[in-house]
Amino acid sequence: MNFVALKMLFGDRAKYMMLLAGLTFSTMLIVQQGSIFWGLMTWSQSGITNINAPVWVTDPNINQVEEIKPLADTAVNVVRSVPGVEWAVPLYKGVQRARLRDGNYEQIALVGIDSSTLIGRPHKMIEGRIEDLRAPDTVAIDQLAVKRLGGPDRMHLGTTFEINDHLVKVVAIVHAQKSFQNFPFIYTTYERALGVTPQERRKLSYVLASPVEGVNPEELARRIREHTGLGAYTEDQFGWKTVRWILENTGIGVNFGTTVVLGFVVGMAIAGQTFYLFTIENLRQFGALKAIGASTGMLARMILLQSFTVGLIGYGLGIGLATLFGLTAGSGGRLPFVETWPLLVGVGGALLMICSLSSAISIRKLAKLEPAVVFRG
Amino acid sequence: MVFRRLSVWLALAGVLLTIATLWGARDKPAAPPPMEAPPHNPYSSTVAAAGIIEAVNENVRIAPPVSGLVTKVHVTVDDHVEKDDLLFQIDDRELRAQLQTKTDSLPSAAARIAELDIRLRDLRDQLRRLQSVKDQRAVSEDDVQRKWHEVEAAKRGLIRSRADLRLAQTQRDEVQAILDRLTVRAPRAGTILQVNMRAGEYAMVNANEPLILLGDTETLQVRADIDEVNAPLVIPGSAAVAYLKGQTDQSIPLTFDRIEPYIVPKRSLTGDNKERVDTRVLQVIYKFDKPNFPIYVGQQVDVFIEREGNIDHRP
Repeated sequence: MNFVALKMLFGDRAKYMMLLAGLTFSTMLIVQQGSIFWGLMTWSQSGITNINAPVWVTDPNINQVEEIKPLADTAVNVVRSVPGVEWAVPLYKGVQRARLRDGNYEQIALVGIDSSTLIGRPHKMIEGRIEDLRAPDTVAIDQLAVKRLGGPDRMHLGTTFEINDHLVKVVAIVHAQKSFQNFPFIYTTYERALGVTPQERRKLSYVLASPVEGVNPEELARRIREHTGLGAYTEDQFGWKTVRWILENTGIGVNFGTTVVLGFVVGMAIAGQTFYLFTIENLRQFGALKAIGASTGMLARMILLQSFTVGLIGYGLGIGLATLFGLTAGSGGRLPFVETWPLLVGVGGALLMICSLSSAISIRKLAKLEPAVVFRG
Repeated sequence: MVFRRLSVWLALAGVLLTIATLWGARDKPAAPPPMEAPPHNPYSSTVAAAGIIEAVNENVRIAPPVSGLVTKVHVTVDDHVEKDDLLFQIDDRELRAQLQTKTDSLPSAAARIAELDIRLRDLRDQLRRLQSVKDQRAVSEDDVQRKWHEVEAAKRGLIRSRADLRLAQTQRDEVQAILDRLTVRAPRAGTILQVNMRAGEYAMVNANEPLILLGDTETLQVRADIDEVNAPLVIPGSAAVAYLKGQTDQSIPLTFDRIEPYIVPKRSLTGDNKERVDTRVLQVIYKFDKPNFPIYVGQQVDVFIEREGNIDHRP
């Protein structure tokens, strides 16, 4: 029986293509938009993920990572005094202006990391040694900075440029995740970051902390909040806080949500309609099957088999195309494109729902079908 | 049927491609290990502080007694000096000239005394001779009386010229004393930590930075700054360890000395000429034995102070 069902499905090439195209492009649209959305969210968290520290300590009323509310210098030692802290180091983070040799200005995201431990440094080096940051007036720049500040011909190891009128020298090129604001990351030591930034009463942006063995980051963040009254978040909590803030305060969530829903609706409309037409067209065959004794349940199973088969093939093609898009258009971090398992599983579920709903219409038709239809012209 | 097969294979390829791509990017990279172990807290509960190394007898900021041109600096940085050793010399040419004048006036005053002395003796002789003549007709009473007055006047003149000599000597001594003041000497034994002047510079009395910083680098101490929020957690007498910045593998055991009873505004060591005040700190002084690695006055350290029991000080 199943063989007959598949034969029926693949037999009508035009309808099969129509169905497949509808489902494929619907899947591709949802996956692609979903991935770009998640990519944007990943970029928005890059300030956190690039630093890669277990616990972030800052002002208790902070909304998101790019919103700096500086602390007093002594906060580092206040955090160190909390039981369960293995280490705590200062971090400077802020947007500054870089002036290039040719007089052009660029906004940069300046990151000042603890000079002795270099905690918060990027994990991937492209060129140079990050330890050289300990030399006077040195910075490490990321791959985006190379592009922005004049290209690899003019930005390389040993190049000098100015940050707020302070001359700095490039000693390393690192790989960093792009940020939402799309400012290049420039790494230097905490003390030097304080030196090149303008006078402010407080400059300590964040305290990074790590728990001792046996204490998990959530517990440590809770302790720090309790003992110091400061805001403390684990990396994940802070990331989600940032994502939530962006969803609440920008149109990004609504925008992408609409596209995803549209993809779902369009996919469903095409698939449902094509499938219904397909069933109507094969009504005589189904009638014949019913006449020779097939029950409605068996016919329903046939329909479901047909729709799930085409659905799975469409899903495979769809995610394949979306991945291909990500690999080509989004290569080298040009586009925020991050595919995730939950998205794929969700899209799979949505697709099965499209298939089930569109077959339900057909099944309803078949349930009412009288075997006698075969004999009517 | 070809098309059917193709679509199935393409779908399978799509799924495999996606799985492969996601598999390749599934792991978040682990944080790179710290370049150097961060300072390690050896106690179960601690009060952490930022500290600075200083000489036990607080550093002496040597200033000039008067403003003037520096003509010679006798010490260089890291010299060990004993009490009263020469440090530097302020231009003394003017006073030396005055001293010469004063000194040169002494022989003249002394000669004047001798001169008056001889004159007095001569007058006394004359008076004696006049008095020895008894004949009223040869020597009148008036002559004797006048000579006597002359002798008395000469005596007073001698006294005055002696006083003049003493005055001239005192004036010379005064110039000498002022002159001596221009030679600045070490107020106590110690090591020269800083020399902020060169011969030829003009030393101001109330300059911002000391001309010479003198300290005792043999016995050092740590001044630990504790945020006022954590001030109640410090128990006097508790043990502590310090780590030099950038050298966290070797700890320096500290012994408690005292708590400075006055909470001071924290000085941020930013190297700026304007210092930012953002909070107040309690300062605790710790002593330590010199470790077997070099350690310098003014170096920053991370301090961990032991804290007893549970720490829930917040309501």
